[in-house]
Amino acid sequence: MLKTELKHLKPQVHTFKEEMILNMGPQHPSTHGVLNFLVVTDGEVIHQALPNVGYLHRGIEKLAEQTPYTTFIPFTDRIDYLAAMFANHVYVLAVENLADIEVPERAQFLRVIACELNRIASHLISTGALALDIGASTPFVHWIRERECINDIMESICGARLTYSYMRVGGVSQDINEQIADDIYKFLDHFEPIIDEYNRLISFNEIFIKRLANVAIISPVDAVNFGLVGPNLRGSGIEMDIRRTISYSVYDQFDFNIPIGKGFKGSLGDCYDRYFVRVLEMTESCSIIRQALSQIPKGDIKAKVKRKLKIKENECYTCVESARGEMGMYLLSDGSDRPYRLKIKTGSFTAMSIVEKVSQGLMVADLIALIGSLDVVAPEIDR
Amino acid sequence: MKENANLLFLFLFKTPIKESEFSLAWYVLFVFLVAGVLLFFAANFAGITSFIERRIAARIQSRVGPNVVGPQGILQWVADGIKLLLKEDLVPDRADKFLFRAAPYFVFSGLFAAFVALPFGYGIVAADLNIGVYYIFAITSLVVVGIIMGGWSSNSKWALFGALRSAAQIISYEIPTALSLIPVIMLTGSLSTQDIIKAQGGMPWDWYLFHSPFTFVCFVIFFISALAEGNRIPFDLPEAESELVSGYNTEYSGFRFLIFPMAEWANLWVISAMVTLAYLGGWQVPFVAIETLSQSFLLIFLSAGVFVIKTSIVVFIIIQLRWTLPRVRVDQMTLVCWTYLVPFCLAAIIGTMIWMLIFPWETLAALLLRLIMSGIGLGFCFLYVQRVRFNYFNDKMAFENLKGKSLWYPFWRLP
Amino acid sequence: MNQYFNNICTTLYSIAEGMAVTASYLFRRPCTIQYPNKLEKPMEDQLSERYRGILQVDTRVCIGCRICEKTCPVDCIAISLEKDKETKERFLTRFDIDISKCMFCGLCSENCKTSAIYHTKFFNAVTQNVENLVVRFVDKPIALYKPPKGSDLKNTLKDLSGAIVNQKMKGRAL
Repeated sequence: MLKTELKHLKPQVHTFKEEMILNMGPQHPSTHGVLNFLVVTDGEVIHQALPNVGYLHRGIEKLAEQTPYTTFIPFTDRIDYLAAMFANHVYVLAVENLADIEVPERAQFLRVIACELNRIASHLISTGALALDIGASTPFVHWIRERECINDIMESICGARLTYSYMRVGGVSQDINEQIADDIYKFLDHFEPIIDEYNRLISFNEIFIKRLANVAIISPVDAVNFGLVGPNLRGSGIEMDIRRTISYSVYDQFDFNIPIGKGFKGSLGDCYDRYFVRVLEMTESCSIIRQALSQIPKGDIKAKVKRKLKIKENECYTCVESARGEMGMYLLSDGSDRPYRLKIKTGSFTAMSIVEKVSQGLMVADLIALIGSLDVVAPEIDR
Repeated sequence: MKENANLLFLFLFKTPIKESEFSLAWYVLFVFLVAGVLLFFAANFAGITSFIERRIAARIQSRVGPNVVGPQGILQWVADGIKLLLKEDLVPDRADKFLFRAAPYFVFSGLFAAFVALPFGYGIVAADLNIGVYYIFAITSLVVVGIIMGGWSSNSKWALFGALRSAAQIISYEIPTALSLIPVIMLTGSLSTQDIIKAQGGMPWDWYLFHSPFTFVCFVIFFISALAEGNRIPFDLPEAESELVSGYNTEYSGFRFLIFPMAEWANLWVISAMVTLAYLGGWQVPFVAIETLSQSFLLIFLSAGVFVIKTSIVVFIIIQLRWTLPRVRVDQMTLVCWTYLVPFCLAAIIGTMIWMLIFPWETLAALLLRLIMSGIGLGFCFLYVQRVRFNYFNDKMAFENLKGKSLWYPFWRLP
Repeated sequence: MNQYFNNICTTLYSIAEGMAVTASYLFRRPCTIQYPNKLEKPMEDQLSERYRGILQVDTRVCIGCRICEKTCPVDCIAISLEKDKETKERFLTRFDIDISKCMFCGLCSENCKTSAIYHTKFFNAVTQNVENLVVRFVDKPIALYKPPKGSDLKNTLKDLSGAIVNQKMKGRAL
């Protein structure tokens, strides 16, 4: 019964003579997690590529309805394992908005530092994995090495390397001390020259440029129409950053640029623009961390919040600029200690929608470059 | 071949061989002996290179690499081989079983037959064929037949993609490979691998690499197209592991799978030896004339050592290239071949012809030009070392601050 | 035509630049930590102070408030308390933590008033059987801790090495 009802939801493709259907994923090495693409090809040329999502659906939104507000934080880590801090951040911001909690300023600075470190870590994986998909394995391993330094810093800040659970409603769980601040400075001093070295190794390599430039061009109009967010949108030349437009937390106190795609090596909105915007964003994140560390005020790190938090009937939508673009949470409370409904909006899911349009006429190798440059993370697509 | 067999007989039994039935048996035995030695060399080289490549790749990537099996992990390749031997030999359902089983034999025989004409030192060559270079090109083309058979018969779309890419790649790159050796053949006047080496000298300015700008271009083209024929990055399209899962050998397992990587690493030697013998002076020992070279066994061994060292350096460069570069796309691969390599090759052939007429090898002007060419080459090497130093010192201070350890950790210091 | 030769030059130059980077790594220190055989210093020293490893309970200072049980998002903590009807004294009869369920979020240890439950630096929870990962901290009923009035509750001693968990899990695995 249910099967017949849901049949129309399965991707349907019609093939013509000389065409064949290629199932890419979910066990394919470069689909970045469990993702399936139904590819109709003529030889190596793609006629149609349909993304088939849902292999990693865990029902995190439903879990939220059964978990008290304060104890849902560890689940948000699992929405996007590469950038767990942003999911933490948007969730606590949503609860604070709903319950009218004032957060101490030091806690907000700590949140910014942690988020920007996490943004670097996430972009390291994203750019490195793109290089790996293109065939160069060394940049990826170098980036993993740098990410390990960030993981060490994160471990010393909050005790975990991947699923941080750092934020709390009304503040953060742990403060940073002189030692950790010093470690962060040392890391930044080491990391900034390494970005240049990385660019010499791979970003400015002609073969790499030839593989990415003028491939899978997303026009600014398309990028907006398909709801792309974050670096994918900025790669198409649209200057849109939640850190600037909404200016949540204390982002209005920092001076930073928003890198946008300019057709660095090819035309506007190609894979290379999306890739290189991420590389430039890492430098910007470094500068934000330096500013935050130098301006950080003294004070509490957590506001007084009841352990059993009850929020009267209300609703709110809160969003932050995650490493994969706008990550939003719509929270609906009904007076009990757990949300009535939580809806999560993520960047990877919207990025999947454009694959079908852009991939027509590409080659199989280009499709891999496209997926890599969109920086999709399978658990974030399916939640 | 026959002379060598006679020589060995004389060396072993101190009597010249008689023309009788016994001698025929001896020749057959000798052929098997040589084949066994070559096979032993090729198989061991493939295994050891796989280990060394993994260690070099590890150091390039700030890792340590396999260091558990045996002292410093040098038995890792034996362990890998034994593991693959013990694995089940799977044939996929609805595959073309005969072709699927036959494909590794083609790859194997195509590759190992090339070793017959490769020199290892002065007079150390299994068969000094008068069409040596031509023979090597012809016989290594057999590999692509095996690859296509394996990819087609696997009944997998990814394997088929790999096989067809391989066909396109090897057919197009046969042309620049052959064309870029023509200047060398013109300069030597022979296709025999031994003759090509004998025509060069021990010092860099006596190599064909620095003979003229045109041979230098040909060297670069030959190197690139040899990489493409050997399925190495940036041309490893047939088994692009991030695109085609594993390409033509996706469905293979066990010993049949082992043949493919083994052939690939053995091919590394073939490529490097070809580059060495054609452009880098082969086994020529510096400061030693060929006439004196044939006098003593010690010098012959020395020549073999020189050849192995030169080839190993080329192998190292190929390995380093693999861990530096990304992969080209399939249409770019053919584009590079037809729009860049082939026209340059043709121009270089004509250029070398004119150069040979204006500056014959023995003249003083030619020697001067060769010296200048070598100087320019040395200058490029110097610039390269400067860039390496720059990269090292770029990170030194910050790294030592961060980790509290010295950055200096050369590759000869084993972890 | 200019573009054609420019392409060749930039390609060769960029490849040489990349080669220079990779060559410099042959002289640079690898960053591998050779876990577990060739560690430079023991793993516990390499982990940070705040590392959230396997949970451990110091039952001597547990006051039986059950906050950890309530805050745990995955319900991996099970506590039973019993009251002696005569002496009115309360006993801890069960304190189980299912490590296979635990997601090391740190909410329980953060809310514990006496730091009775805390994260160790011990993380190697490999056993042959999943059931071995249920660690039972109470063998026989233990009287609940009564903190002296006005004392700093957080200032109790911790056995950070994780020896108790280690011992308990090893004992069960054997």
